[in-house]
Amino acid sequence: MNISCNDRERIFLDGSTEEWVALEEHAIHCAACAEEIRAWKALSTAAEELRDYREDAALWTKIENSLKEKQQKRTVWRGWWEKLGWRGEISLGWRTALAGALVLALAVSGIYVARYRGKADPTQGRFLRNSALAEVERTEREYMKAIDVLAAQAKPELDSPATALMASYKEKLIVLDSAIDELRAEAGRNPSNAHLRYELLAMYQEKQETLQEVLETKR
Amino acid sequence: MGTVGLTLRWEDRISSAASNGGRRVEPSEIARENPENSLLPEDAAIAAGCLAGDLRAYERLYKLQGARMKNLARNLLGSAMDAEDAVQDTFVKIQRGIGSFRGQSAFVTWVFRILVNTCHDLRRSRVRRKEQTRDDSNDSAPRPEPRAPGAHPSVRMALERALAALTQHQRDVFLLYEVEGFRHAEIATMLEISETASKNTLFQAKKNLRGMLEPPRSAEAGGR
Repeated sequence: MNISCNDRERIFLDGSTEEWVALEEHAIHCAACAEEIRAWKALSTAAEELRDYREDAALWTKIENSLKEKQQKRTVWRGWWEKLGWRGEISLGWRTALAGALVLALAVSGIYVARYRGKADPTQGRFLRNSALAEVERTEREYMKAIDVLAAQAKPELDSPATALMASYKEKLIVLDSAIDELRAEAGRNPSNAHLRYELLAMYQEKQETLQEVLETKR
Repeated sequence: MGTVGLTLRWEDRISSAASNGGRRVEPSEIARENPENSLLPEDAAIAAGCLAGDLRAYERLYKLQGARMKNLARNLLGSAMDAEDAVQDTFVKIQRGIGSFRGQSAFVTWVFRILVNTCHDLRRSRVRRKEQTRDDSNDSAPRPEPRAPGAHPSVRMALERALAALTQHQRDVFLLYEVEGFRHAEIATMLEISETASKNTLFQAKKNLRGMLEPPRSAEAGGR
């Protein structure tokens, strides 16, 4: 295989084993390539210095405790649902009613979309984007309102936390609120960025779950 | 021959990538016959154990990958304490999200994807906190803190400083490939980029690092 200095960067980027062998053979007679190969390989060797794979048993204990705690909470939630009579079993009548409601909702939204598309004009693209954005923002506001209701219920517990767990919930919520504020500000600057919206949604969900956990602990 | 990757033990799969001098070799034949979406028996067993809520499966995962996870987190965040938080958060997120794991990628790849995202979130929140406390630092890159001395502490410190000057993306790819030994296919899955993008990013990262750590000596080399 004939290799020249011009092939060097390409081989560094994505060379096959054979190409590397050929480059190294070429480097025997080419000081510039020999130096470049040495420097390139030196980085990989230096990277080994960043490996520190010492075992940390104490960390596992911490992880295990938090896993157990979360597992326990999940069990409590399941019990709560069961108390309400929800066992994942729905009678045939309810199933039929739910299926009917779903079909109806799909049909209504289908008709709406069909009519909406029929009135398209040259500015449709922009209008659709604006409309979708308005819908996202409306849903977001509603979601926030629902979370605010939860937050109001959890407020007494969080204002004067009686346990370390409650104090940690409070701290987590402060961090979440700060992250939400930051993301909302970002989303305000860049309203069409779907990634930001997803991140914001994830934060809201996290906040909702945390508040639910606070209320569950209170119970 | 092409089944080499498949016959490796689960815990060895990442670190045992064949190497040729200072460069890891990724023959395309192995990549083709060892697709990312094929779950190895232990990979699948641990995933199934986690799904069933079996804490022993999580312990096994920690035993096999915990040190590597903490190492990556420390290199991404520059702090051992933050790294521990990130690993702990990652395990909790695995427990919460295991139901959504469908085996589209290797379990370990999925785990490290969560870890990388958790580290990014932690870094962002740390930056926000610093801004709130009016810290005068405007640098979001990790600041390495002292740790156990290696064979060449000066090399490590220089590399850590240079890594902090890379973009987040370049730093992620360099650490995942060169330090943790992941393949480009795995990195592509973790960072949601293409394999080619992973290769290009690594190439750019190494070029930048080289520029920072070792000024080019082409004139000198050419003169020899």
